[in-house]
Amino acid sequence: MIRILLVLAMMMAPAMAQRPDAPVTGFNPTTASVNEAQLLDALKQVNGRVSIPDKKSAVLIQPEGKNWRDFQRGVVPWLAGLLVLGTLAALAALAVFYVVRGRVMMEGGGSGETITRFGGFERFMHWLTAGSWLVLALSGLNLAVGKHVLLPLIGESAFSTLTALGKIAHNYIAFPFTTGIVLMFLVWVRHNIPNAMDISWFRQGGGLIGSAHPPAGKFNGGQKAIFWIVVLGGGVMAASGFLLLFPFSVTDIAGMQTGQMVHGVLALLMIAAMLSHIYIGSVGMEGAFAAMGTGEVDLQWAKAHHSLWVEEVEAKTKGVAAE
Amino acid sequence: MARVKFLCDADRCINCNACVTACKNANEVPWGINRRRVVTINDGKPGERSVSMACMHCTDAPCAAVCPVDCFFTTADGVVLHSKDLCIGCGYCFYACPFGAPQYPRVGNFGTRGKMDKCTFCSGGPEGEDGSAAEFAKYGSNRMAEGKLPLCAEMCSTKSLLAGDGEIIAQIYRERVQKRGYGSGAWGWKTAYKETVTV
Amino acid sequence: MLIKRRDALVQRTRLQSVLGDLSSGALDRRAFLRRAGIGAVSLTAVALGAVKKADAAALTPGAAVKRIKAVCTHCSVGCSVIAEVQNDVWVRQEPAFDSPINRGSHCAKGAAVRELVKGSRRLRSPMKLVDGQWQKITWDTALDEIADKLKAIRAKSGPDSVFWLGSAKFSNEGAYLYRKLAAFWGTNSVDHQARICHSTTVAGVANTWGYGAMTNSYNDIRNSKTMVIMGGNPAEAHPVSLQHLLTAKEVNRANMVVIDPRFTRTAAHATDYIRLRPGTDIPVIWGILWHVFENKWEDRDFIKTRVFGMDEVRKEVAKWTPEEVERVSGVPGEQLKRVAQMMAKEKPATLIWCMGATQKTVGTANVRAYCILLLATGNVGGFGNGANIFRGHCNVQGATDAGLDVTSLPYYYGLAEGAWRHWARVWDVAYDDLLARFDSKAMMEANGIQTTRWFDAVLFPKDQVAQRDNFRAMMVFGHGGNTVTRMPEMIKGLEKLDLLVVADPHPTTYAAISERKNGTYLLPVCTQFETSGSRTASNRSIQWAERVVPPIWESRDDYEVMYRLSVRLGFAEQMFKHIKVVNNRPEPEDILREINRGAWSTGYTGQSPERLKAHMEHQDKFDVVTLRAKGGPVDGDYYGLPWPCWGTPEQKHPGTHTLYNTSLHVKDGGGTFRARFGVEYKGETLLAEGSYSLGSEIKDGYPEFTYGVLKKLGWDGDLTAEELAVIQKIGGANPDAVAWSIDLSGGITRVAIKHGCLPYGNAKARANAVNLPDPVPVHREPIYSARPDLVSKYPTLPDYKAFRLANIGGTVQRKAVSDGVAKLFPIILTSGRLVEYEGGGEETRSNPWLAELQQDMFVEINPADALSRGINEGDWVWVNGPESNSKAKVKAKVVERVGKGVAFMPFHFAGWYQGVDQRSKYPKGTDPYVLGESVNTLTTYGYDPVTYMQETKVTLCQIVKA
Repeated sequence: MIRILLVLAMMMAPAMAQRPDAPVTGFNPTTASVNEAQLLDALKQVNGRVSIPDKKSAVLIQPEGKNWRDFQRGVVPWLAGLLVLGTLAALAALAVFYVVRGRVMMEGGGSGETITRFGGFERFMHWLTAGSWLVLALSGLNLAVGKHVLLPLIGESAFSTLTALGKIAHNYIAFPFTTGIVLMFLVWVRHNIPNAMDISWFRQGGGLIGSAHPPAGKFNGGQKAIFWIVVLGGGVMAASGFLLLFPFSVTDIAGMQTGQMVHGVLALLMIAAMLSHIYIGSVGMEGAFAAMGTGEVDLQWAKAHHSLWVEEVEAKTKGVAAE
Repeated sequence: MARVKFLCDADRCINCNACVTACKNANEVPWGINRRRVVTINDGKPGERSVSMACMHCTDAPCAAVCPVDCFFTTADGVVLHSKDLCIGCGYCFYACPFGAPQYPRVGNFGTRGKMDKCTFCSGGPEGEDGSAAEFAKYGSNRMAEGKLPLCAEMCSTKSLLAGDGEIIAQIYRERVQKRGYGSGAWGWKTAYKETVTV
Repeated sequence: MLIKRRDALVQRTRLQSVLGDLSSGALDRRAFLRRAGIGAVSLTAVALGAVKKADAAALTPGAAVKRIKAVCTHCSVGCSVIAEVQNDVWVRQEPAFDSPINRGSHCAKGAAVRELVKGSRRLRSPMKLVDGQWQKITWDTALDEIADKLKAIRAKSGPDSVFWLGSAKFSNEGAYLYRKLAAFWGTNSVDHQARICHSTTVAGVANTWGYGAMTNSYNDIRNSKTMVIMGGNPAEAHPVSLQHLLTAKEVNRANMVVIDPRFTRTAAHATDYIRLRPGTDIPVIWGILWHVFENKWEDRDFIKTRVFGMDEVRKEVAKWTPEEVERVSGVPGEQLKRVAQMMAKEKPATLIWCMGATQKTVGTANVRAYCILLLATGNVGGFGNGANIFRGHCNVQGATDAGLDVTSLPYYYGLAEGAWRHWARVWDVAYDDLLARFDSKAMMEANGIQTTRWFDAVLFPKDQVAQRDNFRAMMVFGHGGNTVTRMPEMIKGLEKLDLLVVADPHPTTYAAISERKNGTYLLPVCTQFETSGSRTASNRSIQWAERVVPPIWESRDDYEVMYRLSVRLGFAEQMFKHIKVVNNRPEPEDILREINRGAWSTGYTGQSPERLKAHMEHQDKFDVVTLRAKGGPVDGDYYGLPWPCWGTPEQKHPGTHTLYNTSLHVKDGGGTFRARFGVEYKGETLLAEGSYSLGSEIKDGYPEFTYGVLKKLGWDGDLTAEELAVIQKIGGANPDAVAWSIDLSGGITRVAIKHGCLPYGNAKARANAVNLPDPVPVHREPIYSARPDLVSKYPTLPDYKAFRLANIGGTVQRKAVSDGVAKLFPIILTSGRLVEYEGGGEETRSNPWLAELQQDMFVEINPADALSRGINEGDWVWVNGPESNSKAKVKAKVVERVGKGVAFMPFHFAGWYQGVDQRSKYPKGTDPYVLGESVNTLTTYGYDPVTYMQETKVTLCQIVKA
């Protein structure tokens, strides 16, 4: 954030402060000449003019590149390790715990009767996003830390080929991913407006605390949180990604560096969040996977977890039948 | 062993672009790729100075540190080279480079970049035989293997751009400044080599 | 980590050769080695390095590499180029460290010359325009058709109806041959780029002290303590010269003063920058001189012994008080006082100028004023001082010398009968045969029509062109089509010509600019890298360039094209009587020998091809400051035998490094001011008084030598019998009148030098050049002045007629004032150079390595002017000119480089005309990479009275957002 402010401040200041008393005749250009040390002290970056069309080449020296280097070399691998491995470890521990304690089971067993929770299109857009996310996450992680993990294992040539393919995949799969995010937002946003119910849902820990399931609509508080993480986080990922995909088309070197850092850090956070989502949606909770798998869920399960939604759906069906 | 460096004496640089075309000439660099460029600071104003800039072959090179595929190498002379066999054209090195040295041919759609290209200090590439046709086609000339210095510096119109053993060129610059009584600095040295030429 | 084998020692020797002695002079080539602690050992290493160089791998490892030394074909500095060639392909360009002129260095253009013979956009075969379509034809067809058309035009309209435009890109031999071709054709309308670059310099300088050339050299500037650069931007126009200037600035802590309307890239390195209003050079010079006289800083002894007419100058200068100077030029008096003091007190001081001084309606007067300032401060004829005139093209000095000029035969002999008879003797043809080629004896001795006005000679009614008929055909060899002012009218002239022939490596602007449909031929002539010959650098040094590769594609060299044309025109046998021709190609060595036999006036007699080649081979023997060789077969010579190099090659005169330098013996290149204008004027002597060159047996001034003078001195006995026989044969009834310059035996020159005298005499320089329109320069406002209020006090010359055409500058100026042009077009437009391009730019814009660096034609506009017009950096703007409703669409470069109210445009662009891209009009594949509007679409009327130099530096314009 400080960095972004700094960039903004720099953009607002004139590129090269013009002395108001700059003489136009009768002066000594040699003694008036600029000096590198002074320029760097004053501006952190040395800019000039070039005649070639590549205007970004007008930045003569940007020592900030070294800070970016330090971020890539220092922060990124640690953060990656911490978040990804940390989350995996936490989930593994949780999994072990539930294996011991058992999964979150459906109360009273299945009713045998099912209800359509997600239609074909909804499932398509979910899996579109999820699938592209998987490729993006893996290729992105490889770009960030692959040389520490994979390179020693498979050698530089194979690793380079793989990473190059990963780069191409990352660039192209950004588009389906973004499409998925946009579709999910459009289709699901009306179910995800936060309301008072969500507060009580969270207060009850989504049903883990106490015995009764808190009431919830199509999406409960936890799912809404995931929705917003995906939509907002994914949106920022997409935006920063496109910035990187079209380098220097809208911003300068400082902007590109900032964009890349935002993209990288957020990616790691998103990976951590999505790992949790995957856990809950698969092994963590019985019946949850079916919602995105077949789209059909057990009515009993639905009533327990999404009581208001079931009521809404049933009211609608009845209304249709009454006609 | 000598550690080679570049030093642009901006008080002599007249922005004639000889270094730029010499580079094109020596290495057959295609249109749109500028391994070397001249930047004019305070263009047309009191204080104007031009500086010729290319890869400075940094100590602890930022490009090498951020490369996701570790394609950079430092030669015994301190020249930072990269392998075009390994480079994937990700563009990270450009963000890290304090001098805007890495260049990318545009290939394919949107900002997709080809393999990075940059100044090699006329040292060819890291793989292949010195001075071979394959090396030339991929990386440009290998003058260092013949005991020659980069053509940009050899052809500099005013002997502003110095290339060679860092200690010797620093000494030459120091003597110039002492002799003439002014000097706007060894541009980029502090950033590239964590040292500057004090007079 | 990757380790590559390196030889540190070899690297060091290479580094040392890059640096040479430039490290602020403290560290010369040898000192460097000592300092590096490698002393004698590393001298061996140098040798080793050289061996390594020779077997260096080029593009194809294993194949034999030939190293060929050539000379850069761009500017007049004369940088050596080393080409490495394999199987007739130029594979690599190497720095020529041994050249004392460039010492390995190049500018952007020189470092990119290898591309010229790759020639990606060159013309590949002869072309002919048929109903607006380019058709490929053979050389024979092209030359047959051209010759037939020329003969038809000649039969109907006479020889003067063909305009022969030559080139400063020719070698000396090519230029000389072209002049000879025009003489055999029968016209004096033969011109080249010097008209539009330094014709006014040549006129102004020659009229002051004898020869129209740079007095010293780029290298000699290293001796200067004060350098004043006025009307020149060598950092862009002659970049390698800055190596020498900056060395003086650093080592001598010399003053470097730049006086220019633009804060140029040269100015950025000055120690003093002074901005003036464009077109006010004379007020500024007189403003400087006012302080010199006011403070009695003038060199009285020098003026007394070596200068004529300074008192008339004093009268004019007295009018230019600091107040009046500031009112007219905008330069405060204090600033000029500083310059005056430096020039008079911190000597040696040199004045450096270029087109900012010359391309003016007052060009000759400007140059004269500059010379007078040097004379008044005693800054001519020594080391580190003088008029260092930086010529433009690579051989513009040599081509000027060789007489590509409408007023003279080769080597400044003029056009009078005596001159024709001299060259008839040299060529071994009958004078009467030459006379018969012309319309009349009067036309044979009448000045021709210049390149600045050729289209007027096409378009004017017949009776307004003082010759039999209008121009009907134009032969262009190596000259761009965008180089003359008033392009809208030029294009009309182009369209009216019956025949247009362009012989050039590129189609040039001529091919695309007009709506011609027929009668146009393009002949692919190769560059100088594809042929051999000598070229004269600005400092008068002559360098022999070897052929690097054979002419590429179907191109041919100038010599061959001229020869084959002369065969078809029917005078080849006469013209090449004493020149060996092999396979249709006259040998340049033989042409140079013919020059050596005839060019006594300018001392082009001692530079045989053998001597010149020896200099190129032994470049390493020459000192970088004195240019004099130590050791080897060239011992004692100055580099390139700078003319005058007296006597025959066998006499081994070393050449003249610094002109008029009395501190040297004539045998060592010493000299005096030339006695070219008689011995007295209105009773006052024009000869030097008490000043003479070292070792002169005549301790005073003396006139030029003739056989009669020798007799009077009793020195005629020193002539050999053979010499005397030649003199008597030339003189016929009156041998006493045979002057040194027409004495083909060289005896008179030899005897004069033997007695320590200059064959051309020992005169005073003329501060008052009584034969010029303004004998003492006076300020005259530009034709299109931004200060109409000053026009009545400082008007241009009234209308008059010269060079077969009228000059109506006076009328145009009065009309501009009465029409209020300065209000409608409130911005002063000036033009100039970019380092990446040269001249019309066709060649350099076709070189991708250069073209990439400047892709858009632009106008520099001051931020204040831009702001009031709503113009931002990079915007498209229309620049409108005050004549012919001209307009140009260019990009705006908003920059303080130009002052408020001044705009600058580079002159290298063409291929767009008034907003329309003309790329499709070039023959396929020959369009330059970069096209743009030509500034000369906007430039306007205005001609120097002495040479008809055009005004490119001051006109008016308006700029609006497009």
